Amino acid sequence: MSGFIFKRTLWAVVVMWAVATLVFFMLRIVPGDPIAAMLFDVGDPEAADELRRKFGLDQPVYIQYAKWFGRLLVGDLGNSIYGSRIAVSRVIQEALPRTLSLTALSFLIALVIAVPAGLISALKRHSALDHVVTIIAFLGLSMPDFWIAILLIITFAAGLHWLPAIGYVPLSEGLWPWFSHLILPSIAIGTPFAAIMARMIRSSMLEVLRTEYMQVARSKGLFKLRLVMVHAFPNALIPVVTVMGIALALLLAGTIVVENVFAIKGLGRVLIQGILDRDYPMVQGAILVVSFIFVFANLLVDVLYTVIDPRIRYD
Amino acid sequence: MAVMEATQGVTPERPVQRWDWLRLVARDKKALVGMIVLAILTLAAIFAPILTPYDPNAQDFAMIGAPSWAHPLGTDDLGRDLLSRLIHGGRISLFVGTSTVLMALLVGIVLGVSAGYYGGWLDTIIMRYIDLQWAFPNFIIAVYLVAVFGTGLSNVIIAISLAFIDDFARIARGMVLTIKEEQYIAAARTLGASDNRIMWRHILPNATAPIIVQATVSVSYAILAEAGLSFLGLGVQSSTPTWGLILADSRSFISRAWWLGVFPGLFIMVTVLSINFLGDALRDLFDVRETKDLGAH
Amino acid sequence: MSRISKALTGEEKARIDAELRQAYDFDPKDPLFGLTQRQLGGPELNRRSVLRLMAAAGTLTAWHLMPGSGIKAAQAASGGHLKAGWAGVGEFRTLDPARINQVLLFQIASNVLSGLTHINPQLVAQGDLAADWSVSADGKDWTFNLREGVTFHNGDPFTADDVVFTYNRSKDPNNSIHSRVLSNVTDVVKVNDHTVKILLGAPQASFLTKTLERASGRAMTIVSRGGLEQLGESQYGLTPVGTGPFRVASHTLGQSIVLERFENYYDPERPKLDKITITPIIDAEPLAAAIEAGDIQIIGGNPVAPELIDRFEANPDLIVNIVAGPGFQSVWMNPWREPFRVADFNKPVEELMKEKGFKVRLAIAKAIDRDRYIERAQFGRAVPAYGTINPAMGFYFDEGLGEISNQKYDLEEARRLLAEAGYPNGEGFPTLKILNTPSARREVQVIQDILKRNLNINIELDTKDFPVLIDEFDRMDWDLTRIGSGGDYDPDDGLVDWMQTSSKFNGRNRDKDKMSFGIFSDAEVDRLIDEQRLQTDPQKRKEMVQKVNKITSDKVACAFIYHPIDAQIRHKSVNFPAESRIPGLMDLDRTTIS
Repeated sequence: MSGFIFKRTLWAVVVMWAVATLVFFMLRIVPGDPIAAMLFDVGDPEAADELRRKFGLDQPVYIQYAKWFGRLLVGDLGNSIYGSRIAVSRVIQEALPRTLSLTALSFLIALVIAVPAGLISALKRHSALDHVVTIIAFLGLSMPDFWIAILLIITFAAGLHWLPAIGYVPLSEGLWPWFSHLILPSIAIGTPFAAIMARMIRSSMLEVLRTEYMQVARSKGLFKLRLVMVHAFPNALIPVVTVMGIALALLLAGTIVVENVFAIKGLGRVLIQGILDRDYPMVQGAILVVSFIFVFANLLVDVLYTVIDPRIRYD
Repeated sequence: MAVMEATQGVTPERPVQRWDWLRLVARDKKALVGMIVLAILTLAAIFAPILTPYDPNAQDFAMIGAPSWAHPLGTDDLGRDLLSRLIHGGRISLFVGTSTVLMALLVGIVLGVSAGYYGGWLDTIIMRYIDLQWAFPNFIIAVYLVAVFGTGLSNVIIAISLAFIDDFARIARGMVLTIKEEQYIAAARTLGASDNRIMWRHILPNATAPIIVQATVSVSYAILAEAGLSFLGLGVQSSTPTWGLILADSRSFISRAWWLGVFPGLFIMVTVLSINFLGDALRDLFDVRETKDLGAH
Repeated sequence: MSRISKALTGEEKARIDAELRQAYDFDPKDPLFGLTQRQLGGPELNRRSVLRLMAAAGTLTAWHLMPGSGIKAAQAASGGHLKAGWAGVGEFRTLDPARINQVLLFQIASNVLSGLTHINPQLVAQGDLAADWSVSADGKDWTFNLREGVTFHNGDPFTADDVVFTYNRSKDPNNSIHSRVLSNVTDVVKVNDHTVKILLGAPQASFLTKTLERASGRAMTIVSRGGLEQLGESQYGLTPVGTGPFRVASHTLGQSIVLERFENYYDPERPKLDKITITPIIDAEPLAAAIEAGDIQIIGGNPVAPELIDRFEANPDLIVNIVAGPGFQSVWMNPWREPFRVADFNKPVEELMKEKGFKVRLAIAKAIDRDRYIERAQFGRAVPAYGTINPAMGFYFDEGLGEISNQKYDLEEARRLLAEAGYPNGEGFPTLKILNTPSARREVQVIQDILKRNLNINIELDTKDFPVLIDEFDRMDWDLTRIGSGGDYDPDDGLVDWMQTSSKFNGRNRDKDKMSFGIFSDAEVDRLIDEQRLQTDPQKRKEMVQKVNKITSDKVACAFIYHPIDAQIRHKSVNFPAESRIPGLMDLDRTTIS
């Protein structure tokens, strides 16, 4: 088993490297010269050349790659091309907690909605309640998250003025301010995910309820609720755990758009802004960190899964 | 990743049969609703120029007009009829949704079947790459590809197609691995059938069920992806209306014109919903286990 | 114009004329520009002298002489926390004066850092960090007596060393993008801790303003060496340490910056506010929501989206102050591409009118119904344009140009021209693309619509992000482009930047073998622009400026569309005194909240 873990970790590292290299080279074929844009008003081609030299943008690509990779290994993600040329790692350091707060809160909200919904749906299969929950779940995963975000803004921020429309406040400034800025975006991101989870829990519970083990237990006359909660439910959760890796992926993908709607400067917004500005180092850094999170999360889930369910074998 | 393969097991009871669609509709009312709505949308998209009350780009009317008899869904900030725009927008959304999935399906299947059938180093190379792509949400891949290739309709289609290949490749490969061992394949081989013939005439037709299910699911996600890209400003750039773009343009006027924010999203939702109903019923029909319907977004 | 600003009264016009005449009344060979040494020395330079210097420097515009907006002087009550929103920007990338390239950034920095002098809206130059100054007889040696007892926000005392340090840093192009401004300074010498001498290569009228002044003087805005050493360049750009009335309490990139009153500011009367929070709000809707909800009380930064102005005006709690904006926007037609190809503009207009390419250009320019465009694209908040000279240039602006220009809107004429060029009713006209940025998408769709309904020609949007657009624009790789400029207060800004063959926007990266010029080139225009720069008599300059402006209009250098407006929006509880209303800036040291 430790051999498996070692192999998986090695593979994870290779994946990271492959992604980083792909990102680096692909960005170089993007049209548009950021230096020209920066100096549009100054109108001085020499100043542009100088800046280009300063950033090493005039050297052949493979040299740029080697240098970049070298710095990467020491944790230096480079500097933004613009303004105060702030270190990319610094920007990401500040953006990360926001995205993570958002993701965590979205996950929590999704759970809070999905678990009861999925459970009830499974237990009362084919009842009217089941149908209602199913339809709502379908609605939830059919709505684009940015649309949910807009609807929430129309209702709660612009309409009722209950909650702020934009921005982020760190936890250090108070629980309610932090929470009030995050609740709307979290609902927007969490809803489609909750829908998916609810259905997963439902079908997984149905599976478990159907197994012989459960039939036997039922025939032994064990009290129903206890049966459900103590025996069925934890087993039903096993496949759910496996999708945690995907959960993170889904939620992070959701934050990309929603962060833009709510003007929260998290990882997603840094990425999109970097793409639109042709700020190469920023885009590289953001994609790398995002990739790292995925790869790491998946690795964790894989390992976790072997721990939970040793029945599974791998080659 | 190994974990995902374990849950990826797809063993249909039987191959797709001719009257399945009837059974489908009979079993599940939601599917019926879904199919009807989709039929309406498709017809509307095809016949849009005749159907729409006004030219979608005609800026003839009052700006930011609320829904009225003349303009059932209101007008936008440039005085264009929203209903006409949304119907025309449907053309692009549906076109992008279907064409990208078609392309992803074709490429994905070729890759997956080749990998599964031949095995060995080909399998390793192909699947290592597919696994790599699979680790990331398709939407993020699409965003990144659009950033690289540029915006515009054709680039968006390429980006989304490439991003969705992984789903099909995995399914195709999984199917091939399972079916490969079946007796009728061994029989075909002893009868001297070529590899190609075995792959495409014998294995694939029996694998269509999960692929169809995945295709329907992917179409819904492709539509959402295009909407998301347009919303971020990375999608279609011209004044051709797509639902995501209309939604994005509405942001500056949200508080004055709720209809600009509500209706485009509603159209997206209804379309995706119908597809999802259909896909869900299909999955039940073919009794396909959970495919990767979660990660496409 | 009626929605934009009040027309000037006869009295006001007379005053402006008189001041201008006086300003330009000197012998250009006089190293002291017709002033005496005493007049040029500190501790205060009176209005007349400032105007004279600006005239001599060529930076005097009628904008500076426009009457104030009649805002009452600040109430004495101090304290309070002002929340400001900066429009159209997502983050404040840097506040290091050496690196700032956007006005919206300098609006913030100006509250945190100081220069040696400061020019107030009455155009009186006052000492800021300099208590007093004097100049030598040959106009080249300036001696500044620095104010004593001034400290930086981090406690370091302000001395002549800091002036020298700032100079050495700013003149190095590796550190500063404004090093050019100091090209005439040969040395900065410390005489003692509170006296510094600045030596010029040649007498320079714009010295006090361009170099030392807090507002436009980015080159010598005093930075803290201690702060730089302690924080490092990058961090200093985010949380600069200066000697200004406010100090940076915190700044997270992409989120708000918080300024707090600097207790040890040298003027005990200022600032009034305790705290200012400035939040970048890039989208229009959240900005409007924020000020309506009271989350912010004043808007600064980039110009406010025009669609919001009606909404703000209708709100009884908000004060909206609109003046004509400095800038223009046009649709440019590539003279090297069919069907509006013009090989040579150096002909009289009558000759040009016979050419097919020119007819198409003119047809398009004349088919653009500017009133409709402004109504639909800008919600009525703009001024029709027929040239680069904009209303903010006041005196130089020709209100009647619209009536006499060749580009005047005339639908029948436009159609006739197009038919003569071989495209009757738009038949056979190729589908062309117009380059534009994402933020201009909406406007350009209106143009698209106007051209379609008026001339029956199809133009497709080609929306590209700014870096890509600039790249293509400079290379002349486009059919049409919608682009213009802002921040133009002096006739030079528009004319020199765009209309001369050597202009920096004139296809500077084009294939020079194939294209002898970029967007436009006319020898007479080149000559006139050069001449008007040197013309000291304002009346004569006005005539020249208006003449050349008309030529560029008649010869369709581009199809001019509109001049934007400049709107300041604040909550009625915010007292923003007239003293603070300096063009383009947002100095909050005298602002109070009631």
